[in-house]
Amino acid sequence: MTSRTAAARRVLVLRCPAWLDSDRAGSDSVSSDGAGGGSSAARAFESVVTIAQDFCPQVEVLRPGVCAIAARGPARYFGGEAELARKLTEAVGRSGVICQAGIADGLFAAGLAARAGPTGLLVPPGETPEFLAGLPVGVLDIPELCELLPRLGIETLGQLAALPSAEAASRFGPPGKLASRLARGLDPRPLIPRPPAADLSVQLEFDPPAEQSEPAIFAAKALADQMHDRLAAAGLACVRVQVQVHCADGQELSRLWRHDGLLSALAVAERVRWQLDGWHGAAGITLLRLVPDQLVRATGRQLALWGDSVPSDRVARAAIRVQAMLGHDRVTRPVLAGGRRPADQVLLVPFGDTRAPQRPADRPWPDQIPAPAPATVFDVPLAASVTDDSGREVTVSGRAQLSAPPARLATAGGPARTVTAWAGPWPVTERWWDPRHARRQARFQLVTEDGTAWLAALQDGRWLIEASYD
Amino acid sequence: METGVAPVISLSPVRHRDDVVTGAGLLPVLPALRELLPGGGLQRGSVVTTGDWGLLSLALAAGAVADGAWCAIVGVPAAGVQAAAQAGLDPERVLLVAEPGPGWTQVVASLLDGFDIVLLRPPEQPSAQLRRKLEAAARRYGSVLVIAGDWPGAQSRLLVADAEWTGIGTGHGRLRARQAQVIASGRGAGERGRSAWLWLPGPDGAVTAAEPADVAGTRPHGGYSGTARADAGEPLVSSG
Repeated sequence: MTSRTAAARRVLVLRCPAWLDSDRAGSDSVSSDGAGGGSSAARAFESVVTIAQDFCPQVEVLRPGVCAIAARGPARYFGGEAELARKLTEAVGRSGVICQAGIADGLFAAGLAARAGPTGLLVPPGETPEFLAGLPVGVLDIPELCELLPRLGIETLGQLAALPSAEAASRFGPPGKLASRLARGLDPRPLIPRPPAADLSVQLEFDPPAEQSEPAIFAAKALADQMHDRLAAAGLACVRVQVQVHCADGQELSRLWRHDGLLSALAVAERVRWQLDGWHGAAGITLLRLVPDQLVRATGRQLALWGDSVPSDRVARAAIRVQAMLGHDRVTRPVLAGGRRPADQVLLVPFGDTRAPQRPADRPWPDQIPAPAPATVFDVPLAASVTDDSGREVTVSGRAQLSAPPARLATAGGPARTVTAWAGPWPVTERWWDPRHARRQARFQLVTEDGTAWLAALQDGRWLIEASYD
Repeated sequence: METGVAPVISLSPVRHRDDVVTGAGLLPVLPALRELLPGGGLQRGSVVTTGDWGLLSLALAAGAVADGAWCAIVGVPAAGVQAAAQAGLDPERVLLVAEPGPGWTQVVASLLDGFDIVLLRPPEQPSAQLRRKLEAAARRYGSVLVIAGDWPGAQSRLLVADAEWTGIGTGHGRLRARQAQVIASGRGAGERGRSAWLWLPGPDGAVTAAEPADVAGTRPHGGYSGTARADAGEPLVSSG
């Protein structure tokens, strides 16, 4: 296979916008159920992948909500590419999921074609460079170039493709080389034309069969480490990894996952988890095999010089073991996010998942509580009652006028405490443009006789304790 | 069962002082907390209590995490991550197990094998047997178990004895900083009580030693003391 035939590879990308949106909504909410959005979306997406498998047995899951199949074979069978796309979207649509299908030369262009219209777009063979030429360089999703190129006057992929490839590589480094290839409608990296001599797959047999998925997931990390070591020894990286699971009843479950030489062993184990969780009711697992697919020369991966906190094996093992006891979603790593309420400023990401907060912390968040931050932040604010000297509930008028100074604070189920110092109200109006998430509050800080300080808010006539400083 | 070879631990002179394994080092703590702990750090394999959950619990882990250690927080769904970050506890190296469930001792024992520090608020008062099991796990893996709550048999106990918020008045100012006196006591014989005044937290959320001068003045109740002035009508918003 030369790079020319590789470039002409016809790819169909199936994209479910609802999944991508729900994933986004999941990362927007900070509650613990929202934090599990990524992997639960991955599990639910299994049903769509199963439908796609009826059209082509080799389905590659790019991420939850997006998968790809090679279009050439199925198109011949189903009567043309347009027909294939129509039948596939209809079949998925019957299961209640709206999806878009795009067909083009190469995965990158097909992914963009799927996003191009309400039902996707079919780019005829050979016309992919023209299709790409009009698109802005922002679609490359390479952060270091997306800002730089427009400043140099290169606004579209067509202009980028017009640059000689060698020039792009020498001026912009590896990202430039990648961008140049993508802009010309080529695959990100040329495939290695010969199959590797040695078998690089790794496997583990379970005897007796593992009745639950956890032991297999636990083993998957060690297997993935082994596979990465073998690949590294051969100077190779894999574009995709195939996870094969054999069951005691003879069933064989196999799935391709995008790898691109970027996944850590832990991330591979996570994909094994998604795959096993998606197949309910499988009999005991007898064999787990990881097969590296589509080998390319390893070009190396640069870790960030600082700030890349990669869990050591010992830490990861302990965390995975606890996940096996409690469930994937109940063992989390906190990520600082942006927001006005203290509870909005943290996103809990299940260990092993990666998720960037939808509201980054490094943006200005007016009305944010200034430092120091409270040491206790209630995910669901506590109901409370704040009364004045005569025992009447303290209220705030529309013009932020206080009915009387707060004198006592009682949290739900707790004793009433005398307020010794207080400040406020600070009116906060959040997301007034979005009726579903709009919130108007009057915020207070209260110090009670026991020395504890509280962050309280009056919202819709009710007092809430959002956090305490203790 | 002390037949044959006696356990190394009983021969060690360290046992006399701190009752922890020999050879295991100290985990560093924030400079402000050094004088509160025997040896100036968290002895690996030991149990430390901090009273009820609060910034002190987070601050105790901050120094070690800054030094590369990993920290697990168990049983505290309301842990303030922002406060942890401001106190110097990098959230990147934190694992949260908010609800460890009925098998929480097993969860904690597993985490002690892997994490250098485990902050635990026990969901229920554990029996002496379960306590010994977790103490043994901490010793075996050389980790430190920090308890928010009560733990008979802890090597060190820290307690916020006295605390006063500054910067807030009656109807004006805002919470700026808290001066707190932390008292430490140890279990060993001859261990005398230590105490220190801390900014817990300081105006930027950091935990630092409070200069005696900060503390010396009168601290009127319901008022504020010298360093952080309360300004009437100041908005509770960040300028960013």
